[in-house]
Amino acid sequence: MYDIVIRNGLVVDGEGAAGIRADVAIQNGRIAAIGNLPGEARQTIDASGRVVAPGFIDPHTHFDAQLLWDGQARPALEHGVTSVIPGNCSLSLAPLRAADRQKVVGMFQQIEEMPAVAFTEKYAKWTWEGFAGYCETIAPDLAINVAPLVGHSLIRLWVMGEDSQQRAATADEITAMQVLLRQCLNEGAIGLSTSFVDVDDKARPVPSRFAEFAELDALCAVLGEDGGRMLQVVPEFYDVDITIARVDQLAELSVRHGIPTTFSPVFDSTATPTAATRILARVAEQFARGARVWPQMQTRPIDISFSLLNPSLFLARLPRWVRTLRLPLDERMAALDDAETRAVLIRDAGPDGGEATFGRLVVRGGDRAPAAYVGRRVVDIARERGQGCAEAIIDISRENGLDVAFLAANGGHHLTDRIGPMLANPLVHIGASDGGAHLSSFSTYGDTGYLFSEFVRKSGDFTLEAAVKKITADTADIWGLKDRGRLKPGYAADIVVFDADTIDRLEERPVHDVPGDGMRYIRSSTGVDVVLVNGEVAWAHGAYTDARSGAICG
Amino acid sequence: MSDYAGALTSQEAVIVGAELAAGHDGEAELVLRIRYPNGVVGVVLLDAEAGFALMQSCAADSLEGLTGHSWRKILEGV
Repeated sequence: MYDIVIRNGLVVDGEGAAGIRADVAIQNGRIAAIGNLPGEARQTIDASGRVVAPGFIDPHTHFDAQLLWDGQARPALEHGVTSVIPGNCSLSLAPLRAADRQKVVGMFQQIEEMPAVAFTEKYAKWTWEGFAGYCETIAPDLAINVAPLVGHSLIRLWVMGEDSQQRAATADEITAMQVLLRQCLNEGAIGLSTSFVDVDDKARPVPSRFAEFAELDALCAVLGEDGGRMLQVVPEFYDVDITIARVDQLAELSVRHGIPTTFSPVFDSTATPTAATRILARVAEQFARGARVWPQMQTRPIDISFSLLNPSLFLARLPRWVRTLRLPLDERMAALDDAETRAVLIRDAGPDGGEATFGRLVVRGGDRAPAAYVGRRVVDIARERGQGCAEAIIDISRENGLDVAFLAANGGHHLTDRIGPMLANPLVHIGASDGGAHLSSFSTYGDTGYLFSEFVRKSGDFTLEAAVKKITADTADIWGLKDRGRLKPGYAADIVVFDADTIDRLEERPVHDVPGDGMRYIRSSTGVDVVLVNGEVAWAHGAYTDARSGAICG
Repeated sequence: MSDYAGALTSQEAVIVGAELAAGHDGEAELVLRIRYPNGVVGVVLLDAEAGFALMQSCAADSLEGLTGHSWRKILEGV
């Protein structure tokens, strides 16, 4: 008798083959058989009219801290994501000496926008120093699989201490870093991440940015010792020429040490319309010579967000607004209270009362955004208040301490006819979700659902099977994840049952579920019926279960 | 000769365009096109702080007002 049989679904195997009507049997956490399986099972899941696919794999996350109190990595799991890769961008939570914890908390606050209280004893169970200790700490509560990277900044900090953010390493220090990296790989890390961009909470470059090429080369030599582990990199993505130079550098490391490399983000912008295509062209050249340099591209558009707490370039065409918002907070509040100043600002917004400029914006959230306004367009709220749009923006902000965020959707990476063919490029790796990061800026969840709604159903850039392959078997192969990403007997039973006609992400919404009543934006899923992780049901019909069948994997 | 006219005739890089774009972090960013003396046009990305400082340095009330100014004005804001 099988543990579970999923019956009558359209089985999409993850390798790109056309879906077939079949049953999928699960035994001891693994896929036992696929076909017409009339035998009995302890549990039967009816997948009639649904797709049965391998669980999705998210290769670019920052769930390192969240996994300490939330082993389900909500809401990633409910979107069908069964495996996540944290530890990106040079930053992990191990190896880390107790004395250096606050330093790394500052980096996490900067990158993940997570309140410091989340790292206190109450939530963080912070007893580990080594990489194995971190893995052992999160493992018991995992409902999702975790394939962690070790951060270059942490390796450097461990070996060099304060000097890690001041200078290049000596030969002895590089050797010590090699030893430590080797130990982390033996204790569960699947690769190394580094960054040429990020800063800490004091705006100082993170430790990895002080590394010379010889240091990175030596660490990549360690990655190459055991079949080739991944090097993940954040290049200077704001400059296309430097990014291309980094592609060449990664290619050199890939060929020299026999390792895969990946970098992110690569995104499309109408302001720099040739940037992504130039980068992808260089990637193709490097693959042609045998290098593996995988560019990560997100599926979702980039939204612009701003509040009157800080001046935003969104308002650059309204110089008197900018001047007012650059005043110290108390003077700014006084100016916005002043009838004459308000009248000037409203007049500057245009003869329509600012409807063309502000009307399409949506109240996104912020700590003090009125719940009745969140998710609604400014033009609708303004009409309800009997105001023009500019006046409404000012008054809603004033009434709530200016801590109300407004969203301009689809500010970049939003042109489906450009993005679709790039995502479908076999050399492009779908990733860069940043799950677990940018908590108070925007939602990083639901990119998988958006792949199906926008690029399968709407644009047709992908078939159903090709889309599934892109975020399952392709990802597992790129990262060397064993026995995952495919529906095949013997593989881990990481499975998502979904409705191909409706799978999607829902509207972004603010929630206060971060320790210390911290706020973050999330998106729930729709069209995802059941998610199994290692053969246990972790999400079913709109609810999380008590299953804790996730594992540290690699 | 004004800064503006000087920049147009000088043998140094000049701002020839400015546009707003959405950055990776969801912030609005300023994308500047810089034309170098050899004719090549490159792109420089500025965050809000640097962008506003540039506008102030150039006494520009709009993005269009940045056009023609020397690339050196960018340095004043970063």
